[in-house]
Amino acid sequence: MRIVWAPEKEALATHFVLNVIINCTTIMALHRLHFGLRQTVTQTRSLHGSGLIQQLGSAAVEPEPSVRPKHAIFRTAEGDPAQHSEQHLGQYYTLPPATIRSLFPQGLPDRFQKQVKTFNECSMMVREPALEIISLLKRADYSKPPIHYMLYGEKGTGKSLSLCHALQYCFSQGWLILCVPDAHLLVKNCREILPSAFNSSRYDQPMLAVQWLRNFRTTNEHFLSQIKTTRRYVWTKRESTEEGRPLKEIVEHGLARAKSSSDVVGALLRELRLQVGRPLEGGQEPFRLAVAVDGVNSLWGRTTLTKERKIEMAPEELTLVYNLRKMLKQDWSGGAIITAVSQTGALFKPNFAYLPHELLGEEGFVSLEPFLPVPVPVYSDKEFESCYQYYIDRNWLQHEQSRTEDGKKELIFLSDRNPSVLERVCASL
Amino acid sequence: MAASIGNFLKPWRPSYSAKFSLNLVDYSLIQYIRVLVTRWARYNPYYLEPEPRKEVYNIPETELTEEEKKERELKAVRPIKAAPPALTSSVFNDPMISKFINMMMHDGRKRLASEIMIQTLERMKRIQVEKYHKAPDAEKPEIDCNPYAIFHKALENCKPVVGLRNVKKGAKVYQVPTALTDNRRRFMAMKWLITECRENKHRRTLMYEKLSQELLEASANKGSVVKKKHDLHRMAEANRAYAHFRW
Repeated sequence: MRIVWAPEKEALATHFVLNVIINCTTIMALHRLHFGLRQTVTQTRSLHGSGLIQQLGSAAVEPEPSVRPKHAIFRTAEGDPAQHSEQHLGQYYTLPPATIRSLFPQGLPDRFQKQVKTFNECSMMVREPALEIISLLKRADYSKPPIHYMLYGEKGTGKSLSLCHALQYCFSQGWLILCVPDAHLLVKNCREILPSAFNSSRYDQPMLAVQWLRNFRTTNEHFLSQIKTTRRYVWTKRESTEEGRPLKEIVEHGLARAKSSSDVVGALLRELRLQVGRPLEGGQEPFRLAVAVDGVNSLWGRTTLTKERKIEMAPEELTLVYNLRKMLKQDWSGGAIITAVSQTGALFKPNFAYLPHELLGEEGFVSLEPFLPVPVPVYSDKEFESCYQYYIDRNWLQHEQSRTEDGKKELIFLSDRNPSVLERVCASL
Repeated sequence: MAASIGNFLKPWRPSYSAKFSLNLVDYSLIQYIRVLVTRWARYNPYYLEPEPRKEVYNIPETELTEEEKKERELKAVRPIKAAPPALTSSVFNDPMISKFINMMMHDGRKRLASEIMIQTLERMKRIQVEKYHKAPDAEKPEIDCNPYAIFHKALENCKPVVGLRNVKKGAKVYQVPTALTDNRRRFMAMKWLITECRENKHRRTLMYEKLSQELLEASANKGSVVKKKHDLHRMAEANRAYAHFRW
């Protein structure tokens, strides 16, 4: 592992922790990197926050926070992710259906979506990785370029749900949300591919772009009329959008004209990149931008799409991927980038690869640096117990043996406390 | 000595077994070798059967009978047969379900068959649990969410009480009502369920969807399999006059 102190890049690092720009290429180094960073975080706390700790200490003496668990020990009534702290670890909080509809119009991860439907409620566990990101988001300096938080972990450990939890924090803070729920879909099984009208060496995916624009509009309804375009966009010979029009207009254009929808996405991302962090017209506060990409590793590597004569397409030849990559470059300020690398759904990746370097490849790794890796582990004993109690409460464990001590031991053995495997094992019991 | 242990573990056929290395063997075994009639048995008669039940191993030595003690001592020195794939020590094991899986299996594709069964159980539970959470509090206790209970109840409802047997009497074949063994009743219930799901399924629906639907219907004493059972009962009732032909 090489640790390079780079004062000339200081503008890049947004707070003390990230002053260390780390260039690690080996797989082992990532673990150590994360460990090192955590240590630094605790150090900062003890250095600059000694007064804060005293405050916290006095607060802890006070009888009880106003929030009390509503039903049971595995639940918390605290629905606001900004208020989640260490004391809520392993507890379930419930998301209101309205939030889900506006924040995740494309739906949550498949199995979780099914569970929401079955249990008639959307409850998520408060877990360490999401808490870590939220606490860092609270303390970050937004006049500097964004910090890139990258969730990684073995299959089924809950990367996507941690991402959703962190995203919900941003949403509750009134940020503009730019979310790509599954980037793997951009590079495979695409139904319609057209050569781009803007640049003949690129390809458009009109259906995906329209779908994405529709979801984007649902999530960020009120921002779209506030933000204005900074230049004139010419879509075709006859159609164009003038300077100073609200973004809503170009989004509507993209939805109406599927052919230019990919270019609209590019223009939209450009506008957001330029205007984030700047005060809006009419003296309004500058908006913050959260860029969330699940499965970011598919933006590099290979695709299964083909050009004419069955030549394999490179991901950067796709307009959407090209524009999304620009968004992940940390050359704007006033927001955060939260991504997750995942093997599930990735192409041409070994089954058990999960580290960022394995999944992103050399090229992707180098172009995403610097980022803050956040590992997502399997359930701890406490989290497992909480999940087990939650399933029992929701009537999900029905086999009479599953409620006994032996059954519980076998569940631990079968699932190895992996959240997704546990869910699948419990599904038929 | 090493060679003799090697002989113990060799693949074995009854035809030449009587000849080989008997001088090394406990002579009480000879009789056992002679009565061993399993064709294609690949194991030496010295191999012991595997025991999957956990609780057997937890009995302290003082509580064992003489025979069990002897058996336990033998286990220390004799090789043990490899456990067949279906043998399990899981607490979630259900013999009726594994029987059903085996009956559903085609071409030895057991993995596929058991996956279908798992999906069926999951789907039944999803339907019931969703119903449970949507129901008002007063109706909740009436909804049975346990997929295993539903499965057993459905199977019980599909089992016929009497059956028919073809009896040839004076150049005529009569369908004679007969009593059925438990084994036969179970077989008929399972077979009906499976054939119903295979044959009357829309080509776009999956096996587990159809099966869960049928099981849920059968557990409520409705559906085409239960109808089939009633048809059989009616036929037996109609052929009552031939009942004395069954001898």
